[in-house]
Amino acid sequence: MEQTLKKNRADRTPKKDKKITWSLIKDQSQLIYMSVPLLAYILLFAYYPIWGWTMAFQDYKPAKDFSDQKWVGFKHFEFLFKDDNFLQVLRNTLAMSVINLILGFTTAIILALLLNEIKKIFWKRTVQTISYLPHFLSWIIVTGIVATSLASDGIVNDVLMKLHLISEPIQWLSHGKYFWGIVGVSNVWKEVGWSTIIYLAAMSSIDPALYEAADIDGASRYRKMFHVTLPGIKPTIIILLIMQVGHILEAGFEIQYLLGNGLVVDWSQTIDIFVLKYGLAQGNYSLATAAGIFKTVVSVTLLLIANGVSKRLGEERLL
Amino acid sequence: MGGKSKSIFRLGVIMLLSLSVILSGCGGGNNKVANSGKGNNGNSGQVTGENAANGVEPFEISVFIGQPDQQPTPDNKIYKLIKEKTGASFKFEFLAGDIDQKLGVMIAGGDYPDMMTANQKLTAAGAFIPLEDLIEEHAPNLKKHYEKYWNMMKDPNDGHIYNLPNYGATNADVNSSWYSGPAFWIQKDVLAEAGYPQVKTLDQYFDLIKEYKAKHPEIDGTPTVGFEILNYDWKNWGLFNPPQHLIGHPNDGGVVVKDGVAEIFADKDFAKQYYQKLNQMNAEGVIDKETFTQNFDQYMAKLSSGAVLGMFDQHWNFQKAEDVLITQKKDNRTYVGLPLVFDESIKDHYKDRPALNLNNGFGITVNASEEQQIRIIKLLDTLIQEDWQKILAWGIEGEDYIVKDGRFMKTQEQRDQFTDATWKLANKADSFFGQAPKMEGLFSDGNATDGAAQPEEMQAALRDYDKEFLSKYGYSTYVDFFSPAPENDIAYPAWSVDLVDGSEAKIANTKLNELQTKFLPKAILAKPGEFESVWADYVKEIGKVNIKAYEDRINEVLQWRKDSWTVK
Repeated sequence: MEQTLKKNRADRTPKKDKKITWSLIKDQSQLIYMSVPLLAYILLFAYYPIWGWTMAFQDYKPAKDFSDQKWVGFKHFEFLFKDDNFLQVLRNTLAMSVINLILGFTTAIILALLLNEIKKIFWKRTVQTISYLPHFLSWIIVTGIVATSLASDGIVNDVLMKLHLISEPIQWLSHGKYFWGIVGVSNVWKEVGWSTIIYLAAMSSIDPALYEAADIDGASRYRKMFHVTLPGIKPTIIILLIMQVGHILEAGFEIQYLLGNGLVVDWSQTIDIFVLKYGLAQGNYSLATAAGIFKTVVSVTLLLIANGVSKRLGEERLL
Repeated sequence: MGGKSKSIFRLGVIMLLSLSVILSGCGGGNNKVANSGKGNNGNSGQVTGENAANGVEPFEISVFIGQPDQQPTPDNKIYKLIKEKTGASFKFEFLAGDIDQKLGVMIAGGDYPDMMTANQKLTAAGAFIPLEDLIEEHAPNLKKHYEKYWNMMKDPNDGHIYNLPNYGATNADVNSSWYSGPAFWIQKDVLAEAGYPQVKTLDQYFDLIKEYKAKHPEIDGTPTVGFEILNYDWKNWGLFNPPQHLIGHPNDGGVVVKDGVAEIFADKDFAKQYYQKLNQMNAEGVIDKETFTQNFDQYMAKLSSGAVLGMFDQHWNFQKAEDVLITQKKDNRTYVGLPLVFDESIKDHYKDRPALNLNNGFGITVNASEEQQIRIIKLLDTLIQEDWQKILAWGIEGEDYIVKDGRFMKTQEQRDQFTDATWKLANKADSFFGQAPKMEGLFSDGNATDGAAQPEEMQAALRDYDKEFLSKYGYSTYVDFFSPAPENDIAYPAWSVDLVDGSEAKIANTKLNELQTKFLPKAILAKPGEFESVWADYVKEIGKVNIKAYEDRINEVLQWRKDSWTVK
């Protein structure tokens, strides 16, 4: 018995120079079989579709064979990068994405810290449930709520008027300068509760002994928050941050599409909307693919950079 | 059981499942040998148009309808009758979600039902079969029905007929009592209070609205809104289209056609004149402040409240809001369409003759077997005959309508049923009939093919408020506000031109729309002093777009239509 335990442990410790031998494969055959479905899944749904990237270099027409497609080189990339609107669209996407990132992270962490301090389980649960419920609403409903609250007789204007902060209703949705803010705040409203869940989980895994030690040292509540809780969830924060950086070109689509209008189009149009208008809506799948490739390349690059930086700083990393 | 055999087992299950799905999908067509000969002497005494060659051998047609709808009830009486007499039953699939997405998926998979509603994407992808030979050979009645329109139905790109237009093949010009098209709409009470004046020009229209709004700052507790401009998603005509109508042109979409040549009007002076007027009206508080940020639901909610005095729109688009007003007994808050022009020397041309509804109606797909193609075309040929058309449009005699001295009429109860959606699912074949080829105009016995166009029905359907309202003007229906429609230009309408996906023309059109969506609201909401500079920017931006490609494409197709549609 003891021997087998020892043997198993010895097997598990990784040896760098261990060669893959037939006997090893045979030894682990069950594990290998278990991984086959997942591997197949990844190959089929993550790698095989990359073949579709060829579309970006063709004038792709559906229902034609691959050999019948016309190859056009970088035509669609040229269209994308030369279009007057593209820079603006890119700016909007990045701006809203960065706003979402910063607002999303800070609010979620703050809310998680506050929730963590609540000692009455009932209240904690209640607040938590209420704050993450909006996550389950679809954007079409959320934008409806946002549009209604921001209307000239909506609740936002009502409150501001009653407080005598403004003398007449503000047309929130007809000024470009408010648009990014509205998107940021709506995102926070919808997602903040949901995002706290993961931090709360990370906090619950912090060793209580640390808090006790801090107590003995006479640390106040704030001290404990800053010197125990926050460092405790730092690895989680960094991993999430790296993952988010990879999504920087995805500022969302629905909210801008549904809340945008002619008056704010210079601020509301994102890459996804641009692609929908000039690619998918026109049956120009090639352009849509080209934009997709662009986004992927940027995302992967950013992800690698963020990962590298994090590695340099001696922090947690993803890859 | 090791991991290996497990995964094989799993794979086997998956393959079996997918195979069964594929098989069931394929097999739907012909393996239904149900009660063929039974009960075909039912309540079908009036039907003679049976297709003898076809017999009553049952078959099922899978149909895709490109718009959201509801499944008819399984015992729907009209479909039951069709099945009894012709053997045909339908398996409907309706659109849920976005049409482009749905078709994109269908095209990518090449997975079509037997019969589908027209779409340029489908034609371009080669989903439809050419119908000319099928019709020539198997469908004499359809051929007769479309005789006059035969050349128009051909695709400009390759000269084949792929679809059977559902509307526009008329045999008589009959006035319907219901105008569904574009107009400047005004609340009936505004006219009533002003003493039922004749309103011809844009200035008169806004004067009336201003006056009424000043006198009634609130309607039923809601602040009065002078004028609404809807520009949401694809519903953009409220903002884009009025200028062409104001100079006396019919609806050609984004262009006006002068002497057969189309050009855009978005940047022309008469467009500027209209938007400048709106700019002034905005400065005077007539236009709803939120009008450019609202979505369609908010727009409809406002109209339904009865507090909106006017808007430019197409009647069918806001009809539901009017229905709400009628159920609330606010008849005086419903709308009259006015064909406004810039000045009285211009003759209005809002109302047009029905043009053939190109790129609409059914087509047969390449997935239907040859046998099935023939069966479908024969079925459509049977159903285009008059006795069937009466059943599809009016219903069953005695049940859904009554005949008095040879004239078709409805009792009030029957009339109410016809507006009851639930009743219709069980007693009308509207999902099919809406898309199918149909007779329009008059039956050979002189009755109108459509209840709304039967004179007796029009009068009977009017409510008391409307009867009195119309009598003040000396009109018999609201359509009389419009000048009679002159003969259509042979190539009319330009809006049905296929710009071809992904072409320069289509991209130019998209860009133009984008500029309009962005600049027109800005120009209208600008301070009157700044209007000129916004307009100048707008015209400059339009100058950068390849408008020529757009106009050239439209003109090319218009020319093609002229050459090939003219009856020689």
